[in-house]
Amino acid sequence: MEMVTVVPRQRLEGLELLGGPTVPLHPPHRASLPLWLALLLKRQRRANILPPPWFHPTALTSILDIERNKTDQFSPPPPLPPPATGEATTSPPFLLSSTADAPDGALPYHWLELGEILLDAAPDDVVDPDTVRRLMRDLREIRMAKIRAGVVVLDGSGMVGLKGVGGMEVGEGRAFISGVVDGLRKIGTSREQALREREVEEGDDAYDPVENGDEMDL
Amino acid sequence: MDIDDILADVGRDSIPQETRDLQALTRVWVAERVSPEILAYPEALLDRTMERIRRQIEHVEMQTGNMDPKTNFRLIVVQTELERFKFLVRSFLRARIAKITRGVFLSCFSVGGERSCLSARRACQIDKHALHILTTPAVRERLSTPELQYLTQHHALQHAHFLSSFLRNFPAQLQRLDDTAGGISMIDSPDLDTAVFVRVLRDVEEPLVIAGTDASVVLKRGDVWVVRYSVVSELVAEGDVELI
Repeated sequence: MEMVTVVPRQRLEGLELLGGPTVPLHPPHRASLPLWLALLLKRQRRANILPPPWFHPTALTSILDIERNKTDQFSPPPPLPPPATGEATTSPPFLLSSTADAPDGALPYHWLELGEILLDAAPDDVVDPDTVRRLMRDLREIRMAKIRAGVVVLDGSGMVGLKGVGGMEVGEGRAFISGVVDGLRKIGTSREQALREREVEEGDDAYDPVENGDEMDL
Repeated sequence: MDIDDILADVGRDSIPQETRDLQALTRVWVAERVSPEILAYPEALLDRTMERIRRQIEHVEMQTGNMDPKTNFRLIVVQTELERFKFLVRSFLRARIAKITRGVFLSCFSVGGERSCLSARRACQIDKHALHILTTPAVRERLSTPELQYLTQHHALQHAHFLSSFLRNFPAQLQRLDDTAGGISMIDSPDLDTAVFVRVLRDVEEPLVIAGTDASVVLKRGDVWVVRYSVVSELVAEGDVELI
């Protein structure tokens, strides 16, 4: 339930929804609503969507620069709220990463999906939609290239860091990456088994796992 | 406890239970879809959600027929959300059932006669996880009552079908579907070493080490890793990392 900020054009009382109550809408006060509801209101011209700060040409350009400069990793994800001590820990899509007061220097987890949806449903609310569309395409291509380039460091142990990866990118790369890792693991089973037996012989304390140098940190 | 923790506590309490449940449901749904094995059935969560869905449907039924355009629009919103919730629950349960009886439709192609050997081999592969679940008490406990009932009956039906269509033509010692003789078990269990994508929700102090390889990583909050499911399954259950 990704939240976005809307500027309502009509009054709407708060609704008791299954996913929690929504705030009452009083034009022209801004309000945070779930994306699906914002899109429904937008289609019926009952509200305008306020695009998140990172979805602005200048913000996207600076993120694109970061992506260009760091050739071996993605641009950092938005800063996380302080870690919760209890059972509940918030993670995307429940982080408030796409409301009007979200941080502007980082792409959230669902950047690609959200960007496409906004360009499709609310191009008139986006600042300079053509430039944004071009920047989104550039970002997508440069990040795709990083995923493809990262394939060479995959190995059977399957320890690959992908900090800052997007939801869509995980979905696209899942079959290939897990296929390669699983395949390499099966090839290396006997070697791994031998190493494991040697470790047991030497005793657990004697073995000090060496920090692996070629872990991919995209 | 510093100020951040206090702020986090306050922030969490202000989130309504419904929203927290939606988040939990989304998380178990994603986890169930990508994990190689069947996960524990979140009974309390599903009970709460189903009860809310039932109440919301009642509410919609009471309000239908009200021709006031304002109420009408609100009803559209409520119904749209209801459908979203139903999809989530349905997809979650479907993902579980798919694991319970994987590839069951293959059995439609089984034929008798000279091809029975082939169909028998296929048949053994068909119900792969059903037998694994039924014979492993720890896994069996993860199912809800209706799921267990479904699995038991489905398996009984399928076994009867196989028996009448081709297994009865086999020598008696080859008729079993759960044969473990000869060093090869016919009970196929899910490959727990499958690579999965995880996101770290809480810092884990112990570095993650895979025995037999020289890989070792420290899990930091917010990181995304591709790892073997078997090394993180406990962390997933504890909520330190989530599957994505």
